[in-house]
Amino acid sequence: MQKFIDFVVKYREYITFVSLTVICFSLISMGNINKIGGFRTAIFAAVAKLQHVITFDGSSGNTNPSIKVLRELNLQLSSEVTRMRNATVENKKFRDLLGIHSISNSNLIPAQVIGKTTLEVRYYLTIDKGDASGIKMGMAVRDDRGLIGTVIGTSENYSFIELIKNRDVRIAAKDQRTNINGIIVWEGGRYFRMKNILKTYDVRKGDIIITSNFSNKYPQEVPIGMVVNVKEEAGEIFMLVEIEPFVDFNTLEYLFVINMIPDPERQKLIKEIDAKITNRKSILKRGR
Amino acid sequence: MADSVFDIQKRSDVMRFITYGIVAMLLTIVHLVFLDFVSFGGVSPDLLLLLCIWITMHEGQFVGLFWAFGIGIFLDVVSIDVVGTNGLAKLIAVFVAGFFYVEGKTNEIMSNFRFLAIVILSAFAHNIVYFFFYIKPSEISFFPFFIRYGISTTLYTTVFAIFMMLVKMKKKSL
Repeated sequence: MQKFIDFVVKYREYITFVSLTVICFSLISMGNINKIGGFRTAIFAAVAKLQHVITFDGSSGNTNPSIKVLRELNLQLSSEVTRMRNATVENKKFRDLLGIHSISNSNLIPAQVIGKTTLEVRYYLTIDKGDASGIKMGMAVRDDRGLIGTVIGTSENYSFIELIKNRDVRIAAKDQRTNINGIIVWEGGRYFRMKNILKTYDVRKGDIIITSNFSNKYPQEVPIGMVVNVKEEAGEIFMLVEIEPFVDFNTLEYLFVINMIPDPERQKLIKEIDAKITNRKSILKRGR
Repeated sequence: MADSVFDIQKRSDVMRFITYGIVAMLLTIVHLVFLDFVSFGGVSPDLLLLLCIWITMHEGQFVGLFWAFGIGIFLDVVSIDVVGTNGLAKLIAVFVAGFFYVEGKTNEIMSNFRFLAIVILSAFAHNIVYFFFYIKPSEISFFPFFIRYGISTTLYTTVFAIFMMLVKMKKKSL
């Protein structure tokens, strides 16, 4: 017994390190608890209140109410331009047949950014509207320039927004000119990347990328950015398409929460299929 | 007489640990609310890691491990991250830093450039672990991402460690 105690005392640092490491791995294996809930909501509300007191306001420091009005007007005009551009490249009849609907501006909840949180390459915003204004988790957020992110947590008067500039975010998007669909991801740096674009597809520098109707998370036709680079690499079947976002994430002051939550039936179906695929993959792995 | 000395020592230890706790809480708030003001291109210094290293250099590896674990888990809970990633990353960083702890020579070590080397090494280990878990659920390639963000975060954190070194240097010269 004394030998065992001596051993523990002698190697206490290593034993502690291994034990705490095992606890950390167990916690990590519980999965990505990426949504706010319980204790985190209380912390979030407290931090949001603190940020509100400090009143972080973008880059200009201008809180003139006319800016808000102009932003709203700009948003309406921006949406109008998007629709007009679409009208030139899409057949009206075809659109009617597919039942593509545009977002009405009356479905937008304006809000002001009161805080920005940057934690180890993760970007979040806090806004001054919450449950009381009808904001719910899962709603998409944009400004007059384009897509910003989604609401991942709410308290009565505040909401927490996950920017699209985050590792987990994948956006079903399309080239506005050619209707070619792809997945937008952020892999670090200034530009986003559009995945799954075959070399034979017609995607050119200067094309505008918008959210597609394939997205189960974001409403369709919200501008995302412009193609700034198209590279073809030898031995690859896909092109490297780089997109510069319209939104400057460093200068956000006012934004709009789109009062539309993803179809729960569709979400449920996707989750079920995801679970089936994951299950099949693990069976295959075990089989090997 | 011996008992009272022991009591004073114990009380001083408790006070020191309470101070660490308060500083950890304050730095967490700074992390969540103010750190954006000093971030460049999405890269911000890890002040809580510096606190963990500070504690380790003063209290030793054994005590430092518990603080690193606690501070890391607390940061995971209050931020929107997978619970355990910061805990693990800080634990490994402190484990590395702990090898440079020499009892009674804390001020000497922390008041010269050796301390910066310790911070670089620990922050590097921290960021390797953290960014590994960060990009795990995505299709991002580890090395380009780590070179872009991991190295720059390490260096930026080290810049803040210079202030700690200067404080120690000043204390030593007094």
